Amino acid sequence: MKSYFARRFLLIIPTFLGITVLVFGLTRLVPGGPVERMLAEAQLASESAAPSTDSFGSQSLDEDQIAQLKAYYGFDKPILQSYFEWLWKVLQLDLGESSRYGDPVWDTITDRLPVSIYYGVITMILTYLICIPLGILKALKHGAPFDHMSSAVVFIGYAIPGYVIGIACVAYFAARLEWFPLGGFVSDEFEYMSFTDKVVDLIKHSVLPLAAYMAGSFAVMTFMMKNALMENLAADYVRTATAKGLSFSQAIRKHALRNSLIPLATHFGQNISVILGGSFLIEKIFNIDGIGLLGYEALIERDYPIVMGILVISSMLYLIGNILSDFCVAWADPRIRFGEKR
Amino acid sequence: MSSFSPQALRRWQRFKSIKRGYYSAIAISILIVLSLLAELWINNRALMVKYEGAYYFPTYGDILPGETFDLDYKWETNYRALKRQFKSEPNSENWVLMPLIPFSPNENDFIEGEYPPYEPSLASGHYLGTDMSGRDIFARIIYGFRIAIVFSIFLLSVTYIIGIAVGAAMGYFGGAFDLFFQRIIEILSNVPILYIIMIVASIITPNFWTLALLLAGFSWMGMTWYMRTETYRENAREYVQAARALGAGHSRIMFLHILPNSISILVTFFPFSVVGGITALTSLDYLGFGLPPPTPSWGELLQQGTTNLEFQWIWASAVGALSVVLTLVTFVGEAIREAFDPKKYTFYE
Amino acid sequence: MRYLFFIAVLIMPLLAQSKTLPKDLQWETNNSADTWADPNATKGGVFNDYIISFPPTLRTIGPDSNNSFRSFINANKMGLVSFHPTTWEIIPEIATHWAYGADKKTVYYKLDPAAKWSDGKSVTADDFLYTIKFMRSPHINAPWYNNHYTEQFEDVSKYDDHTISITGAVARSKEELHYYYGLGPTPEHFYGELDGDWVKKHNWKIVPNTGPYQISKIKKGKSVEFSLKENWWAKDYRYNKGRYNVNKVVIKVIRDDNIAFRHFEKGDIDSFDLVHPDYWHNKAKGKLFDNGYIHKVLFYNDMPRSASGFFLNMDKPILSDNDTRIGIAYALNFEKVIKTVLRDDYERLNAFHEGYGDYSNKNVKARPFDLEKANHYLTKAGWTEYNGSGIRIKNGKELSLEISYARKEHTDRWTIIKQDAKKAGINLELKLQDATAQYKTVMQKQHDIAAMGWSTGFKPAFWQHFHSDNAHKPQTNNVTNFDDKQIDDLIMEYRFETDTSKRIALSQKLEQMIHDSAAFIPSFKVSYTRGAHWRWLKFPKVPGTKTSATLYSPFGNGGVFWIDSKMKIDTMAARKSSTRYTPVNNVYEQFKVTQ
Repeated sequence: MKSYFARRFLLIIPTFLGITVLVFGLTRLVPGGPVERMLAEAQLASESAAPSTDSFGSQSLDEDQIAQLKAYYGFDKPILQSYFEWLWKVLQLDLGESSRYGDPVWDTITDRLPVSIYYGVITMILTYLICIPLGILKALKHGAPFDHMSSAVVFIGYAIPGYVIGIACVAYFAARLEWFPLGGFVSDEFEYMSFTDKVVDLIKHSVLPLAAYMAGSFAVMTFMMKNALMENLAADYVRTATAKGLSFSQAIRKHALRNSLIPLATHFGQNISVILGGSFLIEKIFNIDGIGLLGYEALIERDYPIVMGILVISSMLYLIGNILSDFCVAWADPRIRFGEKR
Repeated sequence: MSSFSPQALRRWQRFKSIKRGYYSAIAISILIVLSLLAELWINNRALMVKYEGAYYFPTYGDILPGETFDLDYKWETNYRALKRQFKSEPNSENWVLMPLIPFSPNENDFIEGEYPPYEPSLASGHYLGTDMSGRDIFARIIYGFRIAIVFSIFLLSVTYIIGIAVGAAMGYFGGAFDLFFQRIIEILSNVPILYIIMIVASIITPNFWTLALLLAGFSWMGMTWYMRTETYRENAREYVQAARALGAGHSRIMFLHILPNSISILVTFFPFSVVGGITALTSLDYLGFGLPPPTPSWGELLQQGTTNLEFQWIWASAVGALSVVLTLVTFVGEAIREAFDPKKYTFYE
Repeated sequence: MRYLFFIAVLIMPLLAQSKTLPKDLQWETNNSADTWADPNATKGGVFNDYIISFPPTLRTIGPDSNNSFRSFINANKMGLVSFHPTTWEIIPEIATHWAYGADKKTVYYKLDPAAKWSDGKSVTADDFLYTIKFMRSPHINAPWYNNHYTEQFEDVSKYDDHTISITGAVARSKEELHYYYGLGPTPEHFYGELDGDWVKKHNWKIVPNTGPYQISKIKKGKSVEFSLKENWWAKDYRYNKGRYNVNKVVIKVIRDDNIAFRHFEKGDIDSFDLVHPDYWHNKAKGKLFDNGYIHKVLFYNDMPRSASGFFLNMDKPILSDNDTRIGIAYALNFEKVIKTVLRDDYERLNAFHEGYGDYSNKNVKARPFDLEKANHYLTKAGWTEYNGSGIRIKNGKELSLEISYARKEHTDRWTIIKQDAKKAGINLELKLQDATAQYKTVMQKQHDIAAMGWSTGFKPAFWQHFHSDNAHKPQTNNVTNFDDKQIDDLIMEYRFETDTSKRIALSQKLEQMIHDSAAFIPSFKVSYTRGAHWRWLKFPKVPGTKTSATLYSPFGNGGVFWIDSKMKIDTMAARKSSTRYTPVNNVYEQFKVTQ
């Protein structure tokens, strides 16, 4: 068992190298890198805005100057060489600097992290808080109207993409009814508010994005809970327990419930990724400065150090999350043995 | 039905008994059939024209230039205008039969003296209104649905083929092969798909097929895990051991023995994959990385709707259509899953 | 809008010794031009504005500095002189007087001894000499600037602490000398010796400036705040009276124009530009407007228009033929786009250089949508057969072309064009790419038709877009691959001509030839700026100038509005109680161009 997990951890290395090499290579292929972006900015008109009056349009750069620009953005060396230089820096925990903002990638990411963690963790907690009781209730009332109704609602939420729900919410509750702010993480005046006002302000800003985030995540969890509990309710040991004189509710609490939580535990490992998991579409709609939006903007604006930085963190979390999941499974259910010969 | 095994029949019965899923399946099937025949009921080409004794069926095939009907232009006949013209001619033998909704999804229908978008209205024939450039929303939704559903079914066929083959091979061979492909999968799962699309788009204009294949190349991994686990499990069963003892080859065992027994898990994933495919295409279109304009698309409509929230019929149509279709498919999926789940629950109370 | 003045200084060793001024200089100044602000404007208040994304850097030079935020910073840098926004007369800024050298390429300037940097240091001749050194330094990582300041400036000399001269590379007319060779000062005491770390070190440094406002607070990713200097050195000068009235300008980041508009409706933002028809007609309406809380303004201006339209790549076999191109031009229904989705608010652009006064050729008119002519030219070009979908064929090849464009929101325009081009037997495919990728496609000259626009200049510029030096190779602005010996010669002649009337004649001739080639098919122009503002934002009688690109610019040639704080409170209260004021919908036609 120990050796299995040791091996899993060792395997992170080739996978990590594979991921980063591949994406690093891709960044070299994407049309229009930072150099082109810079060339473009120098010359193109933006329609309907004030015409810019730069008179540099008349000039094109010579090879040397373009080479100099390339060097500035680190595009002057052969791909493998620059990959290894990058990797060497990453090993020293240096993710480089954003080619667009000039700030260290690490700072840029950590700046956004609190927001992403806030939404990630609250979504996760609320999901568990709602799904577990709901799943139990549905299992107990299996086949009753409540079960059907709630299934329908949960599945509708699952079916519609979160950003679509977000759009509908902004359109209706924020823009039309003005119940909630239009977006942002907190108000502009946040820093001048009293503590209670701050809390109220934060909650007001959070309601709609959280709804958009959570709508889709109910279904899986709720049904996992429901099915597991129903399976256990039908199991022999519950029958035995009731036969021994435990009341039905005691049997559920003492035996069935605990075992039913195992599958949820297996899911728990992946939650580590929620930190970076924010959907950029939702963040864009609600104007939330999270990691998702940072990643998307970096992609669009060809800010490769940021792209690679987020990739390093997200792929590590993903890989570790996978192992963690296995570990949770092994811990929760001693019958499962990983890595043994079949 | 007679060719189905008793087990399949039992599942079918169970599926039929789950009303929500069953009716959703019927509804979605009708929708698909209707959308595949969309040219017959949503089109700016006439179904049938009678002109000077001859009959024309313009719906499919080459365009009929205006000259066909002695109009003074060479481009495609404007049948709505032709219909009005024939009607205004007294005692005319000529007539035009237009489809139920006489607009094509790519056609800008401008109303003199008014600016698009036009509100939903019975009088104009735009039952869901038009989008920002005067195209009929209903037509775009139906044609967009057709593209999305075909896209998503094609996408999932490809992902299933790759996913099943790789997953089964991983489970069957195990060992280093398994380990190697696990890494490949982990690597591919981390690639930003938008980059791939940008790269391809810089070389060719992505069309329906290239986009689907591209997405498939990076989304077959989900299926693999389930197939791998299933194969592991089935591999250990007696019947596989027996087949092997009888000298059956690898591929024979995999595809004749293991696959049929793992089919149930694949079927239960089917509807959810359809949902995934539609969502993926819609999101890409929404971001402008999807199919090239002016392809009818829900994502594009959503995008128009969100930038013009004050025209509520636009976003409401797109959100409504997405919600209805995805919910229907999900209900079907839920029912299939229940039908395939052999567990019957017992209750003590 | 405000013109920046490019800085220059000269060969360093020479700087040490002061030179002597030529004796016969005729010093000029201008203290009699019309002012365009209201001297009775109330001071104070906060003006709220927004930008779509937070600037990647506060540098105005070097990598990533060319962002939309730069104009806010640059607008607070004073030049030597400035152009009167309406009459184009030269008016003083840092220079109080100027004089012209006999060589027609030197201008002498007397600097205002009162001019101060925001850190209190005086602006001296050395700051101008430093500009050239600075702009030529490889450490600023700005090759265009390096080139420009190396090639365009022959000499910058200091005579005493407050007298300099600037000599450009070629002789030019007087106003052009100021425009092309005018420099701004660069604070040497702030930058000192440049080194390889300059770019990184100065990403977020607030550089001393000479204008009315300076950045006072930065919230990264959220907002930037400018504050009015308490005792700005030029505040009582003739042309600054009644301007720069608000105490603070807060620029917030709001990532989406739609959301920003909602903030405007809440009063969080004071004004909103509404050039786009969608916003003007569909979004800017309702109670807030009907009750007179928000005023709408349409203001005609008269200035160079961006050369936007379809650029046909003549290296593509189909487009290499002149008749085919003319046929295509007649088959593009821009008029219908204007009449429908643009709601008659835009006009057809007629030529590549429009709005350049006499330099523009007013006889050149864009080819209208005309199927008869389109058919005539296409048939003449040999596109005589049709395939089953009604598309023309020549030698088995379809008349099928891609329109490459970068703005999602323009899809509706191009679909209309596509539909109607079909009537002439042309198949247009729409290729939408994100902006950077599209630019790369165009710069590699891989497009068929590129839908794009070029920024405007001071005078028409032909060489970059139409000279064969720039054809058939990547990374040049000749995106049509224009390659014509006769045009080449005329362009060179235009380039080196100093006589204004001859230049005008050449410019007009070139414009006609470009039109004849149909390699550039002009699309749209907007001949006004329009917007809306809360009623507490107050303006002079005429709220803008001939060259106002927006009425709501707090800096630069703008800054004429002021805020009535009491009215703001009243308006907010009135809004709560639904008290009505007269709705205001003003149109200003002072500078309307009649053609």
